[in-house]
Amino acid sequence: VTDLVNLDIEQQGEIVIAHLSGELDIAGAGRIGEQIGESVPASARGLVVDFSALEFIDSSGIAMLFGLARRLGSRRQELRVVAPAGEPVLRVLQIVEFDRAARIHQSVDEALAALAQD
Amino acid sequence: VSQAPELFDLRVKARSLAYLFAAGALMTVLTLALPHDEAVMDAQLAAVGAAALVVAVGLYLLAAHVTRRHLHIVLAVGTAMVGLANHYTGTTALYPLVFSWAVLYAFYFFTLREALAHVALVAVTYAVLLVEQDPTSPAVRWLLAVGTPVTAGVLISRMLARLARETMHAEERERTLRQNEAHTRQVLDSAPDAFITLDRDGIIRIWNTAAEQVFGWAADEAVGNPMRELVVPPELRARHDERRLSLLDSEQATASETYEVEFVRRDGSRFPAEAKVSKVTVRDEVFAAGFVRDISEHLRREEEREILVREQAARAEAERVAEMVSGMQLLVDAALAHRTLEDIIADLVIRVRGVLDATSASIFMVEESGLVLRATSEGMPKDDGTDPRDNPFAARVASLREPILLSAPARDDLPHPGLDTPEVDSMIGVPLLAEGEVTGVLVVCASAPRHFDSEDLGLLRLAADRVALAIDHARVYQREHRIAETLQRSLLPERLPQLPGLSVAARYLPAAAEAEVGGDWYDVLPTPGGGVGLVMGDVAGKGLAAASMVGRLRSALRAYALEGHPPARVVEQLNRLTWTEGDESQMTTLLYVVVDAAENTVRWVNAGHLPPLLVVGDRLPHFLEGGGSVPLGVLPFPAFEEVSVRMEPGSTVVLYTDGLVEFPGRHIDVGMEKLAEVVRYAPTDPEELCDHVLLSLVPGGGAPDDVALLALRSLPMVDRFDVDFPTAPESLASMRALLRRWLRHAESSDRETAEIITACGEAATNTIEHAGGGGGAPFVISGRLNGHEVEITVRDSGAWRAPRAGDHGRGISLMEALMDSVEVTPTPEGTTVRMTRSLGRAQGNGEQP
Repeated sequence: VTDLVNLDIEQQGEIVIAHLSGELDIAGAGRIGEQIGESVPASARGLVVDFSALEFIDSSGIAMLFGLARRLGSRRQELRVVAPAGEPVLRVLQIVEFDRAARIHQSVDEALAALAQD
Repeated sequence: VSQAPELFDLRVKARSLAYLFAAGALMTVLTLALPHDEAVMDAQLAAVGAAALVVAVGLYLLAAHVTRRHLHIVLAVGTAMVGLANHYTGTTALYPLVFSWAVLYAFYFFTLREALAHVALVAVTYAVLLVEQDPTSPAVRWLLAVGTPVTAGVLISRMLARLARETMHAEERERTLRQNEAHTRQVLDSAPDAFITLDRDGIIRIWNTAAEQVFGWAADEAVGNPMRELVVPPELRARHDERRLSLLDSEQATASETYEVEFVRRDGSRFPAEAKVSKVTVRDEVFAAGFVRDISEHLRREEEREILVREQAARAEAERVAEMVSGMQLLVDAALAHRTLEDIIADLVIRVRGVLDATSASIFMVEESGLVLRATSEGMPKDDGTDPRDNPFAARVASLREPILLSAPARDDLPHPGLDTPEVDSMIGVPLLAEGEVTGVLVVCASAPRHFDSEDLGLLRLAADRVALAIDHARVYQREHRIAETLQRSLLPERLPQLPGLSVAARYLPAAAEAEVGGDWYDVLPTPGGGVGLVMGDVAGKGLAAASMVGRLRSALRAYALEGHPPARVVEQLNRLTWTEGDESQMTTLLYVVVDAAENTVRWVNAGHLPPLLVVGDRLPHFLEGGGSVPLGVLPFPAFEEVSVRMEPGSTVVLYTDGLVEFPGRHIDVGMEKLAEVVRYAPTDPEELCDHVLLSLVPGGGAPDDVALLALRSLPMVDRFDVDFPTAPESLASMRALLRRWLRHAESSDRETAEIITACGEAATNTIEHAGGGGGAPFVISGRLNGHEVEITVRDSGAWRAPRAGDHGRGISLMEALMDSVEVTPTPEGTTVRMTRSLGRAQGNGEQP
């Protein structure tokens, strides 16, 4: 089975960080969404989805992201997305106006810092 | 020796004498008719004249029947009658003339002696007449004075002339005779064969020169002696006489016989001879005339020829046997390997027939249903209702487990209905034994002049051993080969994946003389990220062990590669596998190449394998050296290095195993140089390239070792493309790789490329989602580059579903946002999404942060 996308879960205190690399399309989106969702315990304050190493995302990936946003929102957990400027992923996120659902940061550090301030 | 020849025949002599008598008769008539003296006794004289006339007429008429003796008597009677006529006439002087004629006649027609006798008779008669008549008469005196010397003179001259003539004749006759004799002699002497004549008593009469040479006796020693004493061996003498007499006494005038006999030479040696003897009659005497030929030379030559013929026959026989024995080799040679049992048996019968110079050869095999005819050199009989399986002869051989030689076989014993008994007059059946078991029966038939004997029986037993061996091998081989084939099939990709923008072909040639599955393998697999992995490996050794190792390596490599590991990592893991699981004899070389057509790169890791060949345009292809390391399984932790070079569209990478470049007696570098040379001028299409390479380097299709060959060409990008993809989520990555590559060709910027790919991905995703994962008809992506405008069409064969609101509705909005135009055309046959975008300008409705 082709794994185009790789997922690494990292926990920093109350924050869970999901690093994605590769290409996220319909072939992997559902499964990755499940894995990320399950990796966030109820005790966690929030989730940072790191797209800085992701090369491609399509509407399936966006749908997964919106799904995560709903899930976390219902548990009052914070969702932040990291998508560096100039990358195709950010362009897609902008088109679908994902910034209405969650804040988008340039880097993981920036996202963590923003979460810490809240 | 011989009589004087007759100058005149008896008939002429008789008629001449008849004229003489007629003349006498005429004289009496004249005497009586002319005026004459009274003393003449007319009546008596007339009677004498009449008698003379009768004699003349009678003699004339009977001339053909008179003999010499008759002539003498008649002439003597004539002399007496002239005497009587004189007596009755008195002194008439005419008659002495008639006397003279008589004498003349005698001299003329008789021999000298006979003529003198008649002269004497005339003289006595004349003397009697003179005494009786008056001796003193003037007529008598005149006659005595004139007639006597005249008569004497005539007589003497006649006599002398006669003598001279006779002498001359005799000489001439003798000369002629001598000439004839000499001629005959010459002819006989020059005859190549001895010529001998024998008289009735067996006395040698003629003995020619050849006879002198043949027998060693000179002619003057032989002639006059009996042949039987001279040259006939004692034990054959009785037969010699018997044969001579039976020939000479035969009724026929000219009998002739041919005998083969033996003679003794003068020196006592004997010799065989052929005698052709004929009966010859010469003047009432019979001779045996024969040619004798010494046939010892002839017999010797005959014998020599016979010996020669026998020698030749013996040599031919020896050669035939030698040929048969070497022919036996044919029965087990390598050509029989690698074939089905059926083929081998069919071939074996032909070979056995040839080797044994037989008319027909057949093989019966022991099967569950019994002894079954499996092959004949005449082909299998057509099923005409008669069951060819019931062959009593073969059954007998099988149950006896011993060879049987059969002369004059019965019709039922013949293995093939196409054969018949008078034609086949001997046959041999031999059991085929494998490990003590009768596995079949070999039956061979011969037709005249060939006739099987015990020697052939031995040969056939020899042949049967080999046939049994070949069949046994074939069975084992077949069993192994079937497994090997199955394995081989399972180890090599059944068909190569179709890769967008790439064309790939592979060949696998099993070694010509190997029954076992080889350890070579190749594989082609898509790798995560749109690349394609090419594998070329070679496990040392052959057979099932090698094949199972290949199987494990192949599966492992696929698994590691699909997990997305980089090539070096994939090879490391394979090394771990072989190090821990393989045995040391299974050293494995492996080349793992990943072609990323979108990135125009080729990366590879080489574990002891021959370097791949990169072909760019028609330049001399170069080997991709570097990235080399030890083969798998020899070190626990070798360092595998990944090397990468650019691979422009239109270039080809060629992978191969050593069987392609390693040939006996040729350095491998030579083989590799040759490969580079051949590839350089090969067609660019990978299928054609593979064919060309194999045809050039492995002529005849048989290499000493297995050959695997794999060629992948990165197709040159053009301004348009149409590619089919399976309607499945897995197609999306390949599609993106293709588009990325094509858009690079279209000189699209990175951002443009990413956006167009995203839009196309949305269209394709929609298609895949609605196909419900059922696969089915593929969808088609077409790309067109119209100047600076990119036009991409995604066609499927399903109904277009309007994007649902919510999550998936974002797809269409993404497309619209990223492209200049998006048209969705639903038709009953399917849905077409056509999108365009101009390159080289800022995207209107997107904002850069």
